[in-house]
Amino acid sequence: MSFVVRQIALKSSGEEIVRGSTYGMREMTVGRDSACAIHLPDLAVNPVHARIVRGADGILTVTATTDQPFEVNGRSTKSAEIDPAVGGELAFGGHRIAVSQDEDGETPVLTVRRVEAVSESAEDRDIGAAYSLKGLLPGKRLSAWAFSLLVLFAFLAYPLYSYATYKPLAMKEEARRPDGFHADQTWTSGALSLSHKALNGDCQACHTQAFVAVTDKACLTCHTKDAHDHIADKARLLKARGEPTGMAAMQRAVAGAFNRPAGRCVDCHTEHEGAGAMPATQQQFCADCHDGMKGRLPDTKIADAADFGTAHPQFRPTLLSGMDGDKPLFRRVAWEAGLKEENGLKFTHGQHLSKTNGIAQMVRRMPGKFAGGDGLQCADCHAADSSGARFKPVDMEESCQSCHALSFDQIGGTNRTLRHGDPAQVVADLRAFYRGTAPARPANLSGMARRVPGDAAMRSTAADYARAVRFYPGGADQAINQVFSKGGMCYDCHVVTRGGTAQTAGFAIAPVAQNDRYFRKGWFDHKAHVQSDCADCHTGAATSNKATDLLVPGMDGRGGCRTCHVGGEGAKMASNSVKDPVESSCAMCHSYHMDAGAPWVPKNDRKKSDGQIVAIADRPRFPMKPH
Amino acid sequence: MASTANKPVSGKKTGSSRQRQNTHEGFLTHRNMYWAKLSAALALVLTLLYIFVPLPGTHFGSSWLGYTLGTIGALLILWLTMLGMRKRAITPGRWSLKAWTSAHVYLGLLVTVVGTLHSGFEFGWNVHTLAWALMLLVVGSGVFGIWVYATLPRALSANRYDEEGAITEKQMIEALRSLDRQIHDAAQPLDAQAATLVGQSLDQDPFGGTIWNRVTGNYPNCATRHAINELRALRATRQRTKDDLLSRIDAQLTRKESMLERLRQHLKLKSWLQAWLYVHVPVTFALIAALSAHVVSVFFYW
Repeated sequence: MSFVVRQIALKSSGEEIVRGSTYGMREMTVGRDSACAIHLPDLAVNPVHARIVRGADGILTVTATTDQPFEVNGRSTKSAEIDPAVGGELAFGGHRIAVSQDEDGETPVLTVRRVEAVSESAEDRDIGAAYSLKGLLPGKRLSAWAFSLLVLFAFLAYPLYSYATYKPLAMKEEARRPDGFHADQTWTSGALSLSHKALNGDCQACHTQAFVAVTDKACLTCHTKDAHDHIADKARLLKARGEPTGMAAMQRAVAGAFNRPAGRCVDCHTEHEGAGAMPATQQQFCADCHDGMKGRLPDTKIADAADFGTAHPQFRPTLLSGMDGDKPLFRRVAWEAGLKEENGLKFTHGQHLSKTNGIAQMVRRMPGKFAGGDGLQCADCHAADSSGARFKPVDMEESCQSCHALSFDQIGGTNRTLRHGDPAQVVADLRAFYRGTAPARPANLSGMARRVPGDAAMRSTAADYARAVRFYPGGADQAINQVFSKGGMCYDCHVVTRGGTAQTAGFAIAPVAQNDRYFRKGWFDHKAHVQSDCADCHTGAATSNKATDLLVPGMDGRGGCRTCHVGGEGAKMASNSVKDPVESSCAMCHSYHMDAGAPWVPKNDRKKSDGQIVAIADRPRFPMKPH
Repeated sequence: MASTANKPVSGKKTGSSRQRQNTHEGFLTHRNMYWAKLSAALALVLTLLYIFVPLPGTHFGSSWLGYTLGTIGALLILWLTMLGMRKRAITPGRWSLKAWTSAHVYLGLLVTVVGTLHSGFEFGWNVHTLAWALMLLVVGSGVFGIWVYATLPRALSANRYDEEGAITEKQMIEALRSLDRQIHDAAQPLDAQAATLVGQSLDQDPFGGTIWNRVTGNYPNCATRHAINELRALRATRQRTKDDLLSRIDAQLTRKESMLERLRQHLKLKSWLQAWLYVHVPVTFALIAALSAHVVSVFFYW
């Protein structure tokens, strides 16, 4: 009855040292306690961990002495039977005990071997790796690949997929990509302007073909009616622009090399510059052609222009030049001081605006009835139209009649007036008046009146009255003559000639026309100038006493535009001293796609009342000299 | 190494009585800060160009200046990335690795100016701003790297020195192993409960823990600390004996803890010296990917 216990230790060279001893007993203890037969110096093992008893049949019974189990053939248990003839393995903490039989076929052999190091720190390790972040972070190479592929997928492959998916829709007017996210939106370089807001999710509405710069065709797919060429003859346009030189030529060459042809809509109408209004066209785009255009295009009728402050041809206002029947005739004349315009009226601006004469006195006597208190103001007669940009024609009934009344009779407090604008009616009304009425009956002919005693006075009055009644209808001719002649109601304001028909008693009124827009190639907005006094620009008004005087200011001189407006980059004539300069590029007054309306101005700028109505404007894309 | 690492080698004198002169010059001050000056000058010139060159429009990536800046920036980024290849080949002379590194640092700072001017300060949620942000992240992590290279080596050596002199990384492990063996032997007579506590300390990997533990140097699950605390609690309820085993083990565990503390401080400093590269390098490649997408997208939707 004995056990053989073999303790195996390792040399540092890895060689095994076996110490065997035989115990002549039936029962053995396994534990950390040095008193145990099988002593395991292992903190994971109890002082007396288990007991091994050898039965009569040679079978070993292993029982844990406490609740702490041990392992048999890899399974945790508290009690087990092992036949040494078959063999088995016990595990206690970091030790393994192999059970086998000695060569004699009788004595069980327990081979004890430490399989785990005393401590974790005692384990072999690669010092270089241990002190690095290896194992704690994904490797640099791995994350570099991962990040790169992620970015390439999300921002290149996925957008390309979006593009390819909807490509067949391109260039179709009504076709739109469905709302929602499309990956190529991550390519946007900025929000679209307000007018194109709806296209923010539909890149392919404009970017129809890959690697092809946005074409005019893409614009015209939607802008079928509201866009047109500056001039129809493209060849002429190119000739006007001339060939670029120096830096511009280089830029054009580079742009050409990168497949960005010049002269497209988008050269001026730049996009992706924020969700505001589109910026106004740059002065540069106009000046590129119009500066020195006569040299390149000798037959042009258009004068050279570059910068309003230094190089702008004299204004050519459209003036009334006469009448063709009722149709006014116009002609464009280069502005100069003292220009005359025939509108068929007589009017004395100076007299009406005086602060010292009878007119002013009349205004003073009727406080509250006029715009000012010490004399007539411009606004008493001139009313702006609904846009505020221009003025409505002066209306006789509204503006003149309160003073220049056409009354000729009064019945029960109601004035009867002659009809304005209808001389035949005036003549007829006056004749009817004298035919159908009698002179007022003298008071002393009525029965109740107090009178001088005796009949003499009454007889005399009756005789006078009878004569008056007899000749009364003949007074009509006299009244008509009076009304159309100097000192008469019509003559005050109208030019009256003696070329009329019998219907108008031989008188004729010269036709009247009022000019509602002097500058038809440019744009002037009175509303933008409300903070200025009328007389700041219309300097002649206070002294002009002839209706033919043209009071519209020109470019230079007193009240001229250049008093305030300097060029697009602030340039001004050396002879001009500008106190509060307003930078004015071409687009402030001119529109590329010209029509009868105002030049296009960003909405938010339109509200500004400081006179600056056009966005300070800006950027073209790569080709710098588009046209 | 960084310029601040230029500690004069003091104390020991050589055979002659002359003080040894320190001739080390860091990459930051290389060639009298040639690259720093060049980069600053270029940044100034580009900024002035940005402000004063008359462009027909406002600033945007797609003006001629914008495309020029963009091209310069992209080429610069690719060149900066090549340090990774260049540093593996050490050569002397004009284009020594130190010169290259110096240029890498200062031109890297310059690229933020180039990239930002290229953007025209137009930012949005798109691939273009993504590339810009990644560029800033790369440069920012690089700046952090320079800062740790300039400051941490000193702390690293301070941590390795004690009254017995310096201790190497290998010695740190050896010291722990030795302490563990002593603790293991001393703990043999302990009862099961106390032995388990000590065993946990021995079984815990001193290099274990998460990246967070490593970077902060904070190990709330330290088994050694736990064992010390628990054993002290046990001791408080037991009768004191003359040769108190628990007290001996406590002393040994405390020694181990202080060794661990030093090791962990060392690991923390080393992790700071290395961690920035785990941002700098992978994000550089993400940047190049974003840059490619940026360039392709611009030409694709031309």
